[in-house]
Amino acid sequence: MAAVTGTSVRPTAPPGLIGTRVNRVEDARLLAGRGRYVADVTLPRIKHAAFVRAWPSHARILSIDTTRARTLPGVVAALTAADLPPATLVDGNWIPGLAKTPQPVLARDKVRFVGEAVAIVVATSRYVAEDAAELVEVDYEQLPAVDHAGRRPSGHVPILDELPDDLIYDRGESFGNPDLMFRDAPHVFVKDLALARSMAAPLECRGTVASYDPAAGSLDVWCSTQSPHLLRRRLSAASGVAEHRVRVMMHDVGGGFGQKIAAHPEELAIALASCALGIPVKWIEDRRENLMAAPHARGQRVHLKLATDDDGRFLALRARIVGDAGAYSFNAASALIEPYITARVMTGVYRIDHYGYHVAAGLTNKSPVAPYRGVGFIAAQTARELLIDEAARSLGIDRFELRRRNMIRPDDFPYRSCTGLVFDSGSYLEALTTVERMSAYDDFRCEQEQARASGRFIGLGISPYVEPTGWGTEAMNQIGWHSFPSNDSARVSMDISGKVTISIGTPSQGQGIETTLAQISAEVLGIPLDDVVVSFTDSSSAPTSLAGTRASRAAVVSGGAVGLASQDLRERILKVAGALMETDASILTVADGVITDPSEDAASMTVAEVVQKAFQLTEIRSAEPEPNFTATRFYDPGATYGNACVGAVVEVDPQTGGVRVLRIVGAEDCGTVINQVVVEGQFIGGMAQGLGGALLERLAYDENGEILTTTFMDYLLPTSTEVPHFEVEHLESPSPYTWRGIKGVGESGTIGAPAAIAAAIADALAHTGSTVDRLPMLPEDVRAMVEQGEDRG
Amino acid sequence: MKPAPFGYLAPRSVDETLELMASHGDDAKVIAGGQSLGPLLNLRLATPAMVIDLNRILELAGISAHDGDGLTIGAMTRQHDAETSPAVAAACPLLAEALPYVAHRTIRNRGTIGGSLAHSDPAAELPAVVTAVRAEMVIRSRSGERTIPAEEFFLGYFTAALEPDELLVAVRVPAVPARTTSAWQEFATRSGDYAIVGVAAVIGLDGAGVVDRASIVCSGIADVPRQLSTAQSALVGQEPTSAVIAAAVAAQHTDPPADLVGSSSYRRHLVGVLAQRALEAATERQEGNDDRPTG
Repeated sequence: MAAVTGTSVRPTAPPGLIGTRVNRVEDARLLAGRGRYVADVTLPRIKHAAFVRAWPSHARILSIDTTRARTLPGVVAALTAADLPPATLVDGNWIPGLAKTPQPVLARDKVRFVGEAVAIVVATSRYVAEDAAELVEVDYEQLPAVDHAGRRPSGHVPILDELPDDLIYDRGESFGNPDLMFRDAPHVFVKDLALARSMAAPLECRGTVASYDPAAGSLDVWCSTQSPHLLRRRLSAASGVAEHRVRVMMHDVGGGFGQKIAAHPEELAIALASCALGIPVKWIEDRRENLMAAPHARGQRVHLKLATDDDGRFLALRARIVGDAGAYSFNAASALIEPYITARVMTGVYRIDHYGYHVAAGLTNKSPVAPYRGVGFIAAQTARELLIDEAARSLGIDRFELRRRNMIRPDDFPYRSCTGLVFDSGSYLEALTTVERMSAYDDFRCEQEQARASGRFIGLGISPYVEPTGWGTEAMNQIGWHSFPSNDSARVSMDISGKVTISIGTPSQGQGIETTLAQISAEVLGIPLDDVVVSFTDSSSAPTSLAGTRASRAAVVSGGAVGLASQDLRERILKVAGALMETDASILTVADGVITDPSEDAASMTVAEVVQKAFQLTEIRSAEPEPNFTATRFYDPGATYGNACVGAVVEVDPQTGGVRVLRIVGAEDCGTVINQVVVEGQFIGGMAQGLGGALLERLAYDENGEILTTTFMDYLLPTSTEVPHFEVEHLESPSPYTWRGIKGVGESGTIGAPAAIAAAIADALAHTGSTVDRLPMLPEDVRAMVEQGEDRG
Repeated sequence: MKPAPFGYLAPRSVDETLELMASHGDDAKVIAGGQSLGPLLNLRLATPAMVIDLNRILELAGISAHDGDGLTIGAMTRQHDAETSPAVAAACPLLAEALPYVAHRTIRNRGTIGGSLAHSDPAAELPAVVTAVRAEMVIRSRSGERTIPAEEFFLGYFTAALEPDELLVAVRVPAVPARTTSAWQEFATRSGDYAIVGVAAVIGLDGAGVVDRASIVCSGIADVPRQLSTAQSALVGQEPTSAVIAAAVAAQHTDPPADLVGSSSYRRHLVGVLAQRALEAATERQEGNDDRPTG
């Protein structure tokens, strides 16, 4: 049920594979247990590593004694920072006012969070390595833990000597004149929202196999990463092995969600251990390590103020945001990424001309914060939408109506937000109306009244949003984030049999990139989908992509590059075909692998015949001097913004505080849809992840900075029993600024669902007068809302 | 998450097991379904020198009904087998009702009745259930067999009244007395998780519809399955109306521990909510229940 709004930039080609519901080509392998992950990599003489990890959250290292560990049978080596070349990671952002906090690959003088790697043990098996890790004796002098951004414990010792107040950022910016607007505003509404720390929790934890060959002076690395070229740079810098001799290879990756963007200290440490020992070393992270020491996310407090007139028109907005950075500002994407992006996208799908924000981010003795699907957007979305609902209740205006009055309208595009985001196209009102229809809003209100009369409490939440997607240079400039240069290319090669291999630097973590890119290439080339494969990324042969797969960008950026390269290749093939068929290449058509000359009784040749002849007949070189059928194209898209609206229906048990999500509906708009199957997988999977953030997931620490959630018994992910039925409709507002109007959708569902669910809880319990002030809303928090209502009488 | 080194023995009979347990003493741990011990080994929270595997001992599995006089459930009976057993449904409906709440189906396929009881996790369903139905635990060692009431079996967090040379071989469930009904209620953040609080309620009525026997046992609020004895006493001699149940439950003092999943006061509140629901559900089941023990 697709509706198209905005400028159509659909190609003139006949309806082809782009926009067709095609089953994912990678599923045959992934669902049959034939995926190949880094844990499956084995090499002659390979040895296995375990890390010795810090148990105190903040301590000076007085001494490390590896003697007992080294003498355990089966142990090859026990290495500390002193045994490896000094290597640090530092984030690559250049945002004015952001303090840099370099992170050592292995802790040197101090440990700054529970789980920080202190030493590596390499042994004949992971079992022996873990036995020996227990024998490494580390003598610590414990220091008070900073457990809360901006709060100093008594006897405070700075986490980094250079940052006496632990602050990495403390700045604000103002757009329009919010002071004036607030001063004269008839109504001001205020909202506080705290987001717990949570994390990506990919099914496959992190892992690396590193093999240094001292004879060749080369370093081969297999890694579960989203950014193989970025990792290659970091590995080269840390090891001193020249970049062209470092090779990062990817196979399947079992989910990343942002956690695997950055180069991780452990990955570098394993490579350095292989260099030091001259043997292949393998580290496969276990779940406890991942929950403790892999980068975390969220961890924000948002204070919002909204000024409106009597009709509910939004006059101005003000935000104060505090981010918990963890112990280091993480390399490749600073911990500032959460609060800073929150601040920059705060105005959402609404026309708000006057806005001011202040962002503070502070170090804490916790695992560093890295991007996680929906980074920053979720805090903004949830705080703002809850606040709008509260304003609607207070003003006596229907929630859909209040949003409608303030939304950016179709004739506003391109719309420049006050913070400088240029929304290219979209279906904001239509998405809202679609959710209103899908949720049968009027019927729902009756149902809700009847349920309440019989002691059942159901609620509906709505969450319309816009998100930057397909991040290229322009998107980054608009948001004011400069963590990575956008410089991505794709190579499309046709071999002598007429089959195509695509090579990219934005590997898949399971989201369907192999299918969508093959669809694009097959459509442009006019060949069957089966004739195109997307190869695993190998940094030694794949075109460089320093950013890698992140920020809802692969379909837009690599999709565009693949499309352009396929177009080049198509032209070359047709040129040769024209010479062979002795006709004007421009009149030839190609479909299903067959090139047809419509003027000559539909004379035809297959693509494969053309390519074979081009390889064999040297005389063809007079028509095409370079008959190689490989094309590489660079693509850096304009800024593009996807949008969607999510609606959630929940039932709350006021006695236990239990929340059951009954239904989630969504209308999504990611521009030109390449494949509905893949879009729905991303959107629904994202909403399920958002449900976790809304109701279940939080990383808990005690007052000493010790992490309490170290297994999946304590860190609760949504399972099939918590996830409801999803209903999705597609809207299509192609972008005028990207190849064929494609927008990204990788993060969409995750951004929208938490606000919808939180708002549904607030709606179900509206009669209590209590509000949702945190995520996740655990049962005890929901019960507290009921009790606060009872206390108010 | 790899276990520390341990030895492994797989005896084929109870007698052989008891010999091995006597010779290894405290150094050995028996493994049944492995659904708790497995993770504990991997997390190195348990580091026994020897693991004695009971899975080859066929004589420990099985359910035998005693012709209207209750039933005996072998320690190695898989939870899923008990859950789907007509004998259990007839003779111990409370157990049949509570078993689906134990983790997930795949875990119950492997997990055993005896394993869960001997593990003595106070947050688990089965210890509360066997305490509520006044089951007896059948324990053997080389020196013979002894039987103790369930309420004396659970001594503390993960601690059962078992000597290092003793094996829990069966649990004996008495027949359901006439005009006795039961119900299980629990609340967990996600389905399949350990409940924050669970309540087993058993109610017996005399011919006049007055409570002559009540058993209310909670999981998740103490180091052992906790009987709500004040509430039990308050119910006896009364007609179990909602108001009577509410008054009885309100009279009960509890002092649950706080942890990551819930504060003490929240747990205390849940005890009230769930005890009320369980007792009301058990009472409703009395209707049309002519002396027949049914769920």
